[in-house]
Parts: sequence; structure tokens; C-alpha cells
Amino acid sequence: MLLIQRSQRAANAVRTVSPGGELFVASVVICMILASFGDAVDPTVLGEAGLELALFDLGGEFSVLAMRHWHLLQLLLGGAALAAGITVLRIGGTIFYRVLRPAPAGGVEKVPIKL
Amino acid sequence: MELEFFSAAFLSALFAIILIDLVLAGDNALIIGLVARNLPKNTQNKVIFWGTFGAIAIRAAMAIIVVYILNVPGFMLCGGLALVWIARKLLTPEPDAAANHLAKAPAATFAGAVRTIVIADAVMGVDNVLAIGGAAHGSIVLIVLGLAISVPIIVWGSQLVIKLVDRYPSVILLGGAVLAWTAYSMIVREPMLMAWFEAHPATKLVVAILIFSISLGPWYSERLSEQTKPLVVLLPALLVWMLAFEVAASVWKVQVDYLLARDQGEYLLEGLRWMGWLPLAALFLWVREQLIQRSRRTARG
Repeated sequence: MLLIQRSQRAANAVRTVSPGGELFVASVVICMILASFGDAVDPTVLGEAGLELALFDLGGEFSVLAMRHWHLLQLLLGGAALAAGITVLRIGGTIFYRVLRPAPAGGVEKVPIKL
Repeated sequence: MELEFFSAAFLSALFAIILIDLVLAGDNALIIGLVARNLPKNTQNKVIFWGTFGAIAIRAAMAIIVVYILNVPGFMLCGGLALVWIARKLLTPEPDAAANHLAKAPAATFAGAVRTIVIADAVMGVDNVLAIGGAAHGSIVLIVLGLAISVPIIVWGSQLVIKLVDRYPSVILLGGAVLAWTAYSMIVREPMLMAWFEAHPATKLVVAILIFSISLGPWYSERLSEQTKPLVVLLPALLVWMLAFEVAASVWKVQVDYLLARDQGEYLLEGLRWMGWLPLAALFLWVREQLIQRSRRTARG
């Protein structure tokens, strides 16, 4: 028996994982797949097509093509950064959506400003 | 391959080994407790010491043997495929996991107790040793260092590990992802396939997605609705279909690239490659639907 299976929550990790933890691991998996994409793509083919700069080389070392050389710790850090970015976008998007949402048509205070 | 000390590659491999050790660790502490519970007090301490020592020694020996075995052509591929299965098993929910165990009966003698502990550890540690053998990139220093850090944590700090994974179940998901990543790197490093992967670089991406889609299947399957659940089978099957054409093209020397097709047969083959999976997918969905309806009828009547 695995040690982790002595915990009911850990034995059912796919059901009990927190949204934040899930987002982090999903981001790490995305980084791993991007790294394998960098490993699979032949840079010379992209260079000939003139796509390397446009699509992949986002500047310096941080490009999908450079990710083929990333180690696990770098993938974890990349995943954490991606998860943080998605969280910020999600919060920002929610705030933006709330601001844009119109006031109820029958509402007394059409302009939500309190004096 | 010897990695430079404290380089990013070295620390990454060490982290992978410790993480794999923790998530795939057998319950050594419980086994030692179960086996030694009926022995006299003074013998219990000796059993705990020698049982732990034997377990660590057998684990280190197995890991070092695995490093050498993995150099044999074909074993890296087999090890990678085994890791895919191990990762999938790790993530599959087990509602009644605590019910079964390897060592239920207490031992009567000192030798019997130590033997039971060592055998139980060897049986439980096969998956673990295979995974760390793959993650260590052939470095014995890394394996010994990883075991030296993680085995004491598992044996004496098992409660700490249980608390950690209980508080953060995402560690298990991360362990599954790292196992899948290790499986991918083992399969693409397979000496028999290395030249083929160099000639077909795009297949590396297909293999990576295939490995992740199978290994992490239990995870994303939980998030899919009933209607979209067949994706758990269809996505890997489609990737295997595509991969099979690449393999067939190499084995039978046929042209499967539509830009390079010359005759009618090659165009037909190309059509089969891109469209041929559709009737099979439709057949699978139909059979699945029939089976669901039949099980519902059986449940009702």
C-alpha cells in the first residue's frame, strides 16, 4: 500500500484538490507540453518560413523553442508564473466585467455613486 | 551521465527523485509496526533498526541495478511505458485504499520479521525504483542522495508526509505530472528509437501529449461531463492512430506526407490517415451508448 493512501484526501487527490493547486499543476503540465513542442519543432524549418521571430521567439531565453532545455525546477517556476498570470487575468476580468455590468433597469439609483 | 553538482539539472533531478519517492513510497512504518507488534520489547528495537537498514539497502541496490538495466536497448521504452501506467494508477481515486495491505500477520521470530519487512519493501518499491532510475539520468550519486534524503522521511516521518499530502493533495497531481514527464524523457531517450525520433521530430510532441493524456486521464476525466467523457478514450486513440501511420511509413517505406504523395495509393493512404479514424470513433460512441442503455435497462428491470 502506498503511504499516501493512508490519507483519504490524498488517495482521492483528483477530487479533493484545491482550485489553486489544480491550476498550478495544470500550468506545469502546459509548460511541459510546450517544452516537448520546442523539442519537436525544427528551428531551421521555422526560420525558413520566417515564423520563428513572429510566433516563438518572444525575446531572449523565454521562448517556446528555448523551453526544450528547461529542467524540472524551471518548468515548476514557469508553471507558477503562468498560474499567477492566469489568476491575475481572472480577477482583473471579473472586476472589469462587474464594472461594465449595467445597473438594473428598474433600479432607483441608476448611477452607483453614493454621496 | 554525470550531472554537475548544484546545477539546475542536478537540483531538478534531485527534486524529481524526492517527489517521486514521497508519492510512490510504500508504507514502511506501518509494515514495521505490524510485523514487530508481537515480538518482545528488546527484539522490537532490533527489528525496527535492521528492518529499516535492510529496506534502505535493498532499495539502493535495486535503484543502482535499474540504472544499469536501463542502458540495455528496449528497457528505457518498457520503463517509460510502465511509468505511464504507474502515474495513471497514482491518480486513479481509491475510495477503500486502506483496506488491503501486504503484511497483515505479525512475525514470530527476529529473522522472520526482518525478512518480511525487506520483502515487502522490495515488492512495494519496484515502481518507485523504476521511476527514480529514470529521473536520475543514470547518475548513481543522485539516486543515493535522493534515497538518503527521502527514505528517512518516509520511515520516521511518515505522519509528516501524510499530513502534507492531506493538506495539499495537489502534491499527488504534481507527482503524476512529474512521472509522466519522466516517462516521456525515458521513451525519447530510448537508444533503439533515438534515430527514429531525430528523423521524425514532430512525433515527439504527439508522444508527449499521448503520455500526458493517458497518465493524467483520471484527473481530467473527473472534470468532464457525461457527454464529453468519451474524450478520455478518443484523444489517446486518435494520437495512437496518427503515430501508427508514422511508424508504418518507416517500417513499410510508404509515403504518408500529403505534400510528397505521388500516386493514387499514396493519396488514398493519406485520406485514410486523416479521415479513417472518424467511422471508428463513431462506432465507439455508438457501442458505448448501447452499453449504457443496456446497463440502465438491467438496473431498471
